[in-house]
Amino acid sequence: MSDKTPAVLVDQASKWYGEVIGINDVSLAIDGGVTGVLGPNGAGKSTLFKLLMGRLKPSQGSVRLFGIDPWTNTSPYRRVGYVSESERMYDWMTALDFVTTLARLHGMTREEATARAEHVLDFVGLSDVQNKELGKYSKGMRQRVKIAHALVHDPDLIILDEPLHGCDPIARTSIMSVIRELGSQGKTVIISSHILEEIERITEQIVILHNGRLLALGNLHAIRALLDKHPHRILLTCDNPRHLASEFISEDPVYGVRFPEGGKLEIQTNDLSAAHAILPRVIVDSGVDVSAIENPDDNLESLLGYLIGGDS
Amino acid sequence: MSNDGIDIEGGKTRMEVAYGAGDGDDEAKATVARKEAELGTIFEQSYRPWDGELGPRWTRNYAIFRHHVYGLFRSTGHRHYHPMVRLTIFVILLFSLMPVLMLFLASLTGDGFMADAFSRMWGINRYNLWGQVLGYFPRNLCCWPLLTALVVGGMISDDRKNGTSAIYFSRPVTRLDYTAMKYLSVAVVLGFVIVLSYFVYYTSAIVFNGEGWAYLIDTLPMFVGGLIAGILVVITYTSIGLALSSISQSRFFAAIAFLSVIYGTKLLALLIETQFETSILYALSPYDCLAQIGQWLLGIDSNYDHPLAFSLVSIITINAVCIALLAARVSSLEVTRE
Repeated sequence: MSDKTPAVLVDQASKWYGEVIGINDVSLAIDGGVTGVLGPNGAGKSTLFKLLMGRLKPSQGSVRLFGIDPWTNTSPYRRVGYVSESERMYDWMTALDFVTTLARLHGMTREEATARAEHVLDFVGLSDVQNKELGKYSKGMRQRVKIAHALVHDPDLIILDEPLHGCDPIARTSIMSVIRELGSQGKTVIISSHILEEIERITEQIVILHNGRLLALGNLHAIRALLDKHPHRILLTCDNPRHLASEFISEDPVYGVRFPEGGKLEIQTNDLSAAHAILPRVIVDSGVDVSAIENPDDNLESLLGYLIGGDS
Repeated sequence: MSNDGIDIEGGKTRMEVAYGAGDGDDEAKATVARKEAELGTIFEQSYRPWDGELGPRWTRNYAIFRHHVYGLFRSTGHRHYHPMVRLTIFVILLFSLMPVLMLFLASLTGDGFMADAFSRMWGINRYNLWGQVLGYFPRNLCCWPLLTALVVGGMISDDRKNGTSAIYFSRPVTRLDYTAMKYLSVAVVLGFVIVLSYFVYYTSAIVFNGEGWAYLIDTLPMFVGGLIAGILVVITYTSIGLALSSISQSRFFAAIAFLSVIYGTKLLALLIETQFETSILYALSPYDCLAQIGQWLLGIDSNYDHPLAFSLVSIITINAVCIALLAARVSSLEVTRE
């Protein structure tokens, strides 16, 4: 970024659809890296994205893209690439024609637009089929075309609404790879998805929405660490769990142990870092063979469960 | 398990690295993807930033305009017009240029009876100039409404149906630009057929008959009157057609609704005139309003009993209402503006 203004600034924004709450008093600032926006259906993700894209006016509060209100001024979109969930394309066009046409909507010359379209199509791995009509593309290829057209003007902020939706595993892997690369280039990437594992593979920076409210914002593990009432668990697979448990129970960070099933030991702690710090020493001292170590609740699914009220 | 690689005092273990357990616990801020998460990559990405300058507003608007107009001429890369639509528009264009052929034939026949008949039928005079743009049969019964219906059919309704207006509105394109360029695109296509054919007709009459400056000066006011009438036809039909396109999600509805408005109002007014001997309801018919204004512009006696002012006010009102409706509907495209 060339300036200090965050790419996205939402300040106490609320949006009501009559009696229904879209989002309620949400404040957040996002600038740089990849951020995942998570939440169940009806959480307010789409409302948030519509506010960012100037398609809704906040009932209260303000939304700014690069310091400019997108509702009244379209100029921030010169620096924004948007991949809509439901956006349809011109199926009679080839991918190259489509992306070139959209590049020209940013005011590029024909030569610039064509060169740039070829580059971004190559970047998303579609250069070999760029002259094929979009109507003949698979869902995953269409998603990649949408990413290509969002990138064609080299935006600083990329907003992706469910870009992995409907994609097969190979397409998902490709798209995730593209998103990670964009994040590593210093772009601000905001992505929403229902597929938590894949968000985890892309980023640890998350925004969690539920019933229109902002439940959490920040690093996944940092948020998890703040949830004191839900103890962390470490699951060890070993040949003698009872002996290993007797070694652990006297250690400070550990306040409880369980044997969920044969050959497994669950350690409960309020300080995951401290528990992991003592883990190697205790295992070595015990002489027990440990074949697997897992953190079953230090993931996004558990976090969402804790925050939203269920139990993971 | 060996102690290799385990930093017990520092509290950092391979497990932490592997699972990211301690990663970022003390500092919640935006981070880029973890390197160890790079699984399943099947191709290499190398994103190259672009350091060019994005063009100004007019270049973006021109891109919208050309996308819609060039589609009539090129199959790929622009708005899709069905080949039958393109063929029909071409036939209408040829038909509208038919008087040019007749003028050419008249110029070949010399000064006899045939030349006189050709000249009366297709030569330049107030009535023929009016008829070239506003004659009911065949132009305003068969040609111009059909042409408009074909062009405006999916102009906005396709975007509304498919959500493709999001393509525009996620870019620095205002709704005013979007609407104005769609409007201009339709007007240019209609103008290309209606106004250009009128211009070619007038010009060819001068060229084929070898007329001089005196003839030009003599007929120019009539030509300008007809030209203004033609432009009014283009503007009015574009306004009505786009307004109907903007309220529907079907190109068929927009086209049929346009034809219904043009023919329906005319038929209603005709029935009322037949029954009650009043032409006042022709003020509701866009075609008849334009026809009466055209007659006034070309200095022809009016066919209508009601005052010209009624038609003038009606045309202004029809255009204003249609443009207001168009603006309101485009404002709601892709928006849930409760």
